[in-house]
Order: sequence, then C-alpha cells, then structure tokens
Amino acid sequence: MDSSSLFLVVLLTGITLVVAGLGMAILISPRSFNLQKTESYECGLPTKGSSWMQFKVGYYLYAILYLMFDVEAIFLFPWSTVVRDLGLAGLFSIAFFIGVLALGLAYAWKKGVLKWM
Amino acid sequence: MDYTNFFLMKEELSLIGVMLILLVYDIFSGEKGKRHFQTLALGLLGLHTAVNCLPREAFDAFGGMYSYKPVMTAVKTILSAATIIVLMQVNNWLKDEERRNKQGEYIYLTLSTLLGMYFMISSGNFLLFVIGLEMASIPMAALVAFDKYRQTSAEAAAKYIFSAAFASAISLFGISLIYGSTGTLYFDDLAGSITGSPLQVMAFVFFAAGLFFKISLVPFHLWTADVYEGAPTTVTAYLSVVSKGAAVFVLFSLLTKVFGALMEEWQFILYALVLLSITVGNLFALRQKNMKRFLAFSSISQAGYIVLAVLAGTPQGLTALIYYVLVYACSNLAVFGVVSIIEQRSGKTDIADYNGLYKTNPRLSVAMMLALFSLGGIPFFAGFFSKFFVFMAAAEQGFYVLIFIALLNTVISLYYYLIVVKAMFVKDNERPIETIRSDRPAQIALALCMFGVLCLGILSVVYEGIGQLAL
Repeated sequence: MDSSSLFLVVLLTGITLVVAGLGMAILISPRSFNLQKTESYECGLPTKGSSWMQFKVGYYLYAILYLMFDVEAIFLFPWSTVVRDLGLAGLFSIAFFIGVLALGLAYAWKKGVLKWM
Repeated sequence: MDYTNFFLMKEELSLIGVMLILLVYDIFSGEKGKRHFQTLALGLLGLHTAVNCLPREAFDAFGGMYSYKPVMTAVKTILSAATIIVLMQVNNWLKDEERRNKQGEYIYLTLSTLLGMYFMISSGNFLLFVIGLEMASIPMAALVAFDKYRQTSAEAAAKYIFSAAFASAISLFGISLIYGSTGTLYFDDLAGSITGSPLQVMAFVFFAAGLFFKISLVPFHLWTADVYEGAPTTVTAYLSVVSKGAAVFVLFSLLTKVFGALMEEWQFILYALVLLSITVGNLFALRQKNMKRFLAFSSISQAGYIVLAVLAGTPQGLTALIYYVLVYACSNLAVFGVVSIIEQRSGKTDIADYNGLYKTNPRLSVAMMLALFSLGGIPFFAGFFSKFFVFMAAAEQGFYVLIFIALLNTVISLYYYLIVVKAMFVKDNERPIETIRSDRPAQIALALCMFGVLCLGILSVVYEGIGQLAL
C-alpha cells in the first residue's frame, strides 16, 4: 500500500472511531429529562444574583508555595533511599536543591506574599 | 556520581551563578542597595560574557543529551552581548516609580529566557530542546505582561502565551511522531534513522511549525504585530533580536544535522516561507502608522532574509546566518533604543510623531538614521555586508530566482525605512518632541550599537572568525 492510501486509511479510521463512539452513545444511552438538569449545578444551593463578580484569589500564592514544598518532598524520598551510595556528592546536590527552593521561599517572604491581605 | 559532566556546561553554569547572586542580592539588600542592583547585574553579565567568549573543543555531555560545538560560543556570546545592551537600555525605564520594586524580576526573567536559549542551542536531544524552548517562552510571556496594569501589555501577553502554547503543542506532537517512527530522540542517532518516510515528513512539518512560530515567519506571524506593539518597548527589542536569533540558529543546526535526509522537503518549505515572509512583511510594513508595529513587520521581513541563509544549509550559510544575526542585533537594538528613549520621555510611538525630530534631537535622529540604513542594507553599513553574505551563500546553492525576489524586496524595504528618515529630517512638525537628555547607560548602549553598525562591515576579521568556528 502506498503512502497516500495509507494516510487515507488512517484518516478514515480516525473519523470512523470518533463518529462511532459518539453515535453509539447517542443511540444506546438512557435519557431522562427534568427541569433541574438545565441548571449549572444539579446539586447545592441555587445561585443568587449574577456570578460575574470580582472575588479574591489570594489563595493561589499559597497553592504555589505548597506546590514548591510538595515537589521538594517528592524529590527527597528517592534521594533518602540511596543517600549512602551517593556519598558526599549526593549530599551537596540535595543541599543545593533545597537551597534554591529556600531562596524561592525567602523571595516570596520578602515580597510580602506570606502576609494575609 | 561526579560533577565532571556538570562542569562541562560552563556557559549555563555561570549564567545560573549570575542569576543566583542577583536573586540573593535582591532579597537581602536594603532600599539603599537596590540602587546598585542594575550596575551589579550589568557587571556580572559582562563578566559572564567575557569569561565564556573563548571557544573550546567540541564535546558531548550526559550521554549526548548536551552537545557543544565551538560555533555555539559565537552564538551565545552574541546573544548575551545583545542582552547586556537591552539591559542598558532598560535602566531608566526600570527606575520609574511603578517599576522600581520590580527591577529584580525583570532581570531574572530576562536571564531565565537567555538560559533557556542556551540550553536550546546546546541540546543534543529533543527533550532538552523542549525544556529550553519552554524556559525561553514562558518567562517571555511574563516579560511581555510586565506593565500588567496597562491593558495592551496584558493583552499582548495573553496573545503571546496562547500562541506559544499552541505552537509548542504542535511542535511536541511532531516530536512524538518522530519518536514513534525512529525510537530515539538523540540528534546523533536520529541523523541515521530518518529516512524520509511520509510519517517522518509529517512529523518534521509539525515540529518545524513550532520553530517557525518563534522566528515569526509568514504564515506563522499573526501574533507578531500585536505582541510587539503591546509589550514594553525594551521587551520588544529583546523579543525581536535575542529570541529570534537563538531560534534561527537552532533551526539551522536541526535541519542540517537531524533532518539532513529530508533536505528536498525542507528546502521546498523554506523556499516558500522565505518568499512569503520577505514579501508580506515588506508590504505590510509599508502601511504601518505606529513605530512598533512598523518594526514588527520589518523584523518579519528581516527574519526572511536570515532564513535564506538557513536555506543554503552550508557552513558558509551558517557563517552568513550568525553574522546576519550579529549585525541585525546591532541595528535593530539601536532603532529600538531610540524608540524606547522617546517613548519613555514623551509617550509617543507613532511615525507621525517623529516629524521634525532632527531639529530637537539631532543625535538621536542620526543614530536612528544610521541604524535604519543598516537595516535597509545601504552599502558600507554593516547591513549591506550581512545581506551580501546571505545572498552569496544562497547563490552558491543555486537559488537565483529567490535571490532576485529578495533583492527586489530590499528596494521596497529601503522605501519604508526612508519614510521614517524623511519624517525625522524633512517634515515639519508644529509640536515636535522636546529635546531629550537620555541617561548614561542608554547612551553607551546606543554608542555600542553604532560602533557595530559602522564598523562590523569593515572589520572582516569578525566574519572570518565566525567562519573559522562554523567549519
């Protein structure tokens, strides 16, 4: 089979798979209807007023800092299992790694990120 | 485990060192120390450039992940020298009331993109290449958004990050196809296993689209004008010179090293792209009223000329390419330097505002004129020689028709560069821009660029030196 017909086969297979998946779902899925399904959230409190308003996103900074330490911990675990074999070089490497992360924390601290506003 | 592999990456290590020192200084220095921050940054970066400017023997490190060739030293030195010039131009702008406490960030972000480009240039594997590419584009978006309360800046950053994400996604998809068809991502192994099957051609097209986006060749240029206009002017200068220069060099080395087997295909693609970029860039530049948009389209057409050197694909082409990037850096940074000085003092960026500039600011006008002449390629300025070498390299490979069209376009480009010159020297203005006293670092930066524009063409040793490294 030459390359253009191969390409055609790949293209048709792709289209067929997607159409078949969606079509099957439409054909065989059970359907029911009631008014609540048209709302944004089917459960929970009904919203009052417009949701297009400003809200505070102060938490994202904490999320980023948390992520920083999370990643640090993930890297520390495998390191701790082989630290004996790595010797001094391993110790220095991890010290450098933690040092850079600590600098990041110091930077955030200095810029007043840790103060709740 | 030992560190010998790490210490081989001298350029990157010293740049990381500079960044760490600046970070520590920025965190722990008081209000008084902040005043010397930029001087320290410039000094350290200058030292970094000076230490790493001598080429070494070629080597591979980390099992081929990182590979070094002497010619990379030339590229990295040009890029870091251009970064120094940008940081000199930025000096006054960063001391503004609203940016004074963010000057550290500006410098780390810039250096971080530079580090990304270093890795991109020296990568020997597609993974390191992608990391470098991302390291160069994500901080770039933050830099574009540096004036985050100015709406155009935020808008430009959004456009940049979305287009960049889209381009890297396409590029990564191409890389995944390459991995699927060959089973390796190391450039050295790929050179042998790319045979030119249709899948690999498709993979190459996807992959290259990402790089074309970074170089902003037509038809991947749609983000350029808006981003250049919205971004702070110094960031635009950096984006148009340093970022583009690195991407073009990488494009050259990948095409010749990895995709050598697909030469017919990529020559055809590049042929069309060069033709489109030069022509469309020029035709759109004719109609621009805003200085930064005008420079955006001019840089698209300049990118077309640089890629003409890639099309040649020979060591001579590589020499012409690096030389072109060097000359382009000098001329374009000089133009942006003047635009940025004028924008800082008067807030004006339209070409019509430059009417009568010569009467009030003769020195700035002359500097701008010389730089524009060099960009246009008028003989005996450096820009003439850089264009000449690119044409020569392409002519040796027999692209005569393309060179003819490029020459015609040079004439068009002269017309619109001269429109700006005419505005400055001939036209009258009832309310001209008042006389500006620029700050010392910006003056030195402009003087360095002028030196490049006037002398690089005559100092043949520069071209020959690059040629020796590129062999």
